[in-house]
Formats: sequence, structure tokens, C-alpha cells
Amino acid sequence: MSQMPAIETEGLTKRFGQFTAVEDLDLRVDTGMVLSLLGPNGAGKTTTVRMLATLLRPDAGCARVGGHDVVHHAAQVRRLISLTGQFAALDPHLTARENLVLMARLRGRGRREALDVTEGLIERFAVGEFRNRLVKNLSGGERRRVDLAAGLIDIPHVLVLDEPTTGLDPRSRQVVWSTIRSLVDDGVTLLLTTQYLEEADALADRVVLIDRGREVAAGTPAQLKTQVGAQRVDVIAADAGEFERLRVLLRGRFDISESAEQRTVSVAAPEEAENLAQVAAVVAQAGIGVDEIALRRPTLDDAFLALTGHVAHEDPRGNSWIDEPKPTEVAA
Amino acid sequence: MSAIAGAAPGRGTGRRAGAGAGPPVRFIRDTALLTARSLRAIPRVPERLLDVTIQPIVFILLFLYVFGSAIHVPGVSYKDYLFPGIIGQSLAFGIIGAGVATSHDMTEGVIDRFRSMPISRLSIISAQVMGQFCEQLLGLTIVVVFGLILGWNPHLTAPHAIELVALMVLGMFAFTWMGVLLGMLVRSPDAMQGVGFIVIFPLAFLAGTFVPIAGMDTVPRAIAQWDPISALVGSVRGLTEGVHSSGSWQLVHPELAMALWCLVIVAVCVPLALRRFNRTLAG
Repeated sequence: MSQMPAIETEGLTKRFGQFTAVEDLDLRVDTGMVLSLLGPNGAGKTTTVRMLATLLRPDAGCARVGGHDVVHHAAQVRRLISLTGQFAALDPHLTARENLVLMARLRGRGRREALDVTEGLIERFAVGEFRNRLVKNLSGGERRRVDLAAGLIDIPHVLVLDEPTTGLDPRSRQVVWSTIRSLVDDGVTLLLTTQYLEEADALADRVVLIDRGREVAAGTPAQLKTQVGAQRVDVIAADAGEFERLRVLLRGRFDISESAEQRTVSVAAPEEAENLAQVAAVVAQAGIGVDEIALRRPTLDDAFLALTGHVAHEDPRGNSWIDEPKPTEVAA
Repeated sequence: MSAIAGAAPGRGTGRRAGAGAGPPVRFIRDTALLTARSLRAIPRVPERLLDVTIQPIVFILLFLYVFGSAIHVPGVSYKDYLFPGIIGQSLAFGIIGAGVATSHDMTEGVIDRFRSMPISRLSIISAQVMGQFCEQLLGLTIVVVFGLILGWNPHLTAPHAIELVALMVLGMFAFTWMGVLLGMLVRSPDAMQGVGFIVIFPLAFLAGTFVPIAGMDTVPRAIAQWDPISALVGSVRGLTEGVHSSGSWQLVHPELAMALWCLVIVAVCVPLALRRFNRTLAG
């Protein structure tokens, strides 16, 4: 195989009137890798993936999928890429099964073969229970599973998942995550957009943090976290009195910050485990009652706040189009 | 191992079984598959058919039994005068129906999936047209059958019948394309309804549908004389009753005018619709 990246963009830009949705974005996803595009609502994630999937035309810059330009060789790009969008791309008036058969037929399968492929997908994505229900009557989680299945009739060279778990209950989210992991194990190149920091952390090899259409930071999840600052040891005191003793004790010896409300003293820990051991020893020697002593690495939430200067919006689950999950949903 | 692993030979190639088929074959097959998709939805959303089924019947009853008594057309019974008009009106309203359905469809996520798949984009629009065409055909059949039941008595010779069917098919095809284009241009189904009521509704009423053009005031008469729907109504009336009206070239030669209108509409609307569809809609 060549070393050509599966996805590559240079200076990718898209404007809608006065509003610049994506600005000068450079991305590179090597074959078999998982890149997460992380950002809050309106950051330009969906616009970016729609350009990659040939649904939107870039205003400036270029994007290539498998070496094919998305504007000039759109037909080749469509053969390589499969996009599962934020909103289920299914026919609401067909059943789950009819949708899958239709997509398989449109991908060139004969009637018999399409039925076989559909059976396989129904099993893999645990669609069996609601296979003959109209898509418009499915819950958000059920619909998402059918949607994912419809995107995987052919294993795509590049799979693009646009906010695959937004609006899902934790259980459906687990199903989606495990599906994604097994696809990655099969060697699929994945571009995943998400506004959930822990999702990028859990699934991605590399994260590109975008905000207002621009790249803010890029790196592995671990690199992003270290970019925000050093690790720390958090010591949580057993009660308010112990907290007072604790902060007096540690203040003289270490570089600390504190939160009386959470009875926590945080100690800068550039040496990680070594610092943890030192702090633990000092606290034990003084006989202070503590609930917990732990080494903490900054979360991607911390990273986001530090890099963009504002908090990532955490309120995407109020989408009214999503039905409440049904209790009968089962994990695959 | 999994279904996924089983499908692995298809990786990156997009299609397998269809790979050997040439583009025209794939285009026809994809159009047929997508048309079947539209048609399958009809019995599941029967209210969509109200405008091609119940609506013309309401107009027939209104004009035949309410307004008709006050309208006198020399030389022909009002019943025989009315049905060609109703047929013309049904086809014209098909523009609105196709437009509303299209603008509604374009907002559905599934169209995006089709657009991002390795299938011809023309087949997606063609299927939209075919689906609407079938709905119009159903509506037209209902009007004709209902008319015959109520005692409409078209005087058709075999050659005229063939000419009539050919003109109707061509007309529905052209008007559906026009509706599909309009449906893509407007921002919402509601906007399409608005366009329908402000533009198509009056044009359909002016076209000698319910009252003779000759009796209209100067301005509406001038519009009616060159209204494409007048050519449509005039040709149905000419072929079924043998009467031709006068006042403009197209009223004297409605069949030829109708055919020309259809060709112009198709020649304009097909490329524009495809271009519009290829351009991006929302972000």
C-alpha cells in the first residue's frame, strides 16, 4: 500500500454568506487511523465532513479522500467514503429492513445478495427486534443503529461518523462505541466528530480540537492533556478540620492549589508517581485523615477550556427529534 | 468472524455485482429502485394523495352542481365543457404537488445519503419525477373515471385517443419536472404552497378551464391566450369535443402548442434541476 493519507485537507474553507463555518483547516488521517474532530456545537465539524463526503463544495483549499479530490473526482470519492450523519439518513416511510435492502441494491447487490447482506447487518447491529417497523417509529438509538448498518454495506475505505452518539442514552452509546472499536480493529480508517471530550479520548488516536471553524490544537489525547499543564496529585481530606491541617502541612512543602469546598488540596506533580509517593508519605506521617490521594491528569475538558478560553457546551442532548430510548433496547 | 469481515472483499470498491454494468444500465436500475422507494411510501402516507384524488373531485362537484348552472357555453353541454378543464387543472396542480413533495424530500436525511453514494445523481431526481408522475397518473385516472360515471361523454376517435394519451403523458412529464425544479428552488414546502397559490392557481383558472376565454376582460384574456395551461385545456377539449377556440395562435393550434410548451419546459427544467441538485443546499 502507498503511504497516501486516507484523508488530507489543505486550507479547507467554507463560508455561508458572511459566516465562515470552516477556516483554513489542515487535516491528515493516515490509513487505519482514528481521527477525532472535537468541538462544540457550531464549531464547523459537520460542515467539514459534508465537504469530505462531496455534499458541500469548499470555497477555498482542497480536500482529498484516498488521493482523490472531492470536487474534481467526486465519483471516486463516493466509492471510498461512507458518511453516517448526525441525523439519521434513512427513509422514514420504509422499515428498517427495507432501508437496508434498498441501500444494498443501490450499492450494486443483486436482489438475493442484498437480502443476505441485510440479514448479516441486522444480526450484527441487533436490529432484529425492530426490523419490520417503519423507521419513523423507531427510537433515536434504534434509528442510529440502522443508520450505522446502512453505512456499512460495503466496508468503506474511509468511514466518517458525524456525532455518532449525540442524543443517545448511555447504553446505546456503548453499543455504538463497541461497533466503532470493532470496525477499527478491522482496519477501517475513521474520522469521528464529537462534542464529547471523553468520546474522543476513548476512541481516537489523534484529536483535532476545533472552535469557530479553526483548529485550536491537535495531537494525541495524551498530548492535548499535557498541553494544558502538568499532572497533579489531589488529596481529599476526610472533613473540614482535617482539610485545614492538610493545607497547612502541604503548603510549606509543595506547590499547591486548594478548594475548600471540595476539601481538596492539589499538588503539582511533574514527576508523577514519585510525587504521589512523596505526598502520600508526608500525609501518612502527619496522621491526617484523608478520603483519597490520587494522581490526576487533566481531562480534555480542562484542555478545551484552557485552549479556547471558554467551556465546551454540554447541552446537545435536548434535541427534540430524538425519542426517549425504549427500555427494551438491548446491547449488541 | 462477523458479517463485516465476510463483506471484506467489497472494501473500497463501492460496488461489486454492479461493477460490470454500464452507466446507462446502472442509471435505469438505480432510477427504478428509487422510484419503487417513493411508491412504497404512498400507502403508508395516504394523506399525501389527497391533492390528486379528493381535490379534483371537489372541483368537479362544485362546478358541475354549484357554479355550472350560471355558466353557459354555446354549442356544448357544460359537463362536456368542464371535464377537459378539470383534466387541465389537475395536471397544472400536479406542478404544486410535485414541488411540495420535492421540497419536503430534499429536507430528509436520506437524500444526503443517496447523494454521498456512488450512484448517478440524475437517477435520484429522475426517481423523484417518476414517483410524482405515477401519483399524477393515478389522479388523472380518478378524474376520467369519475367523469365517465357522472355522464361525461367524450367523442373520441382512435387516432385522437392515441394523440390525447401521448399529450397527457408528455404534459405530466413536463409539469412534474417543472414542479421538481420549483421544489428544489424554494426554501420549504410552505413556500412551494405559496408559489402554487399565487402563480399556478390563477393560471390554472384563467386557462379556459371553467369559463370560455373569449368572455374574459382584456387583461386576463391576454394572459389566458398565452397561458400554457390554455394550450393543455384547449387540446383536451379539441380532441374530445372537436371544438377549438380562437384568439391566439396557440388557441387555434393547441395540440402543437402544447407539445412545444412541454419540450421547452423539459429542455429548461431538466438541466436546471440537475444543476440545482448538484449544488449544495443546507450546511
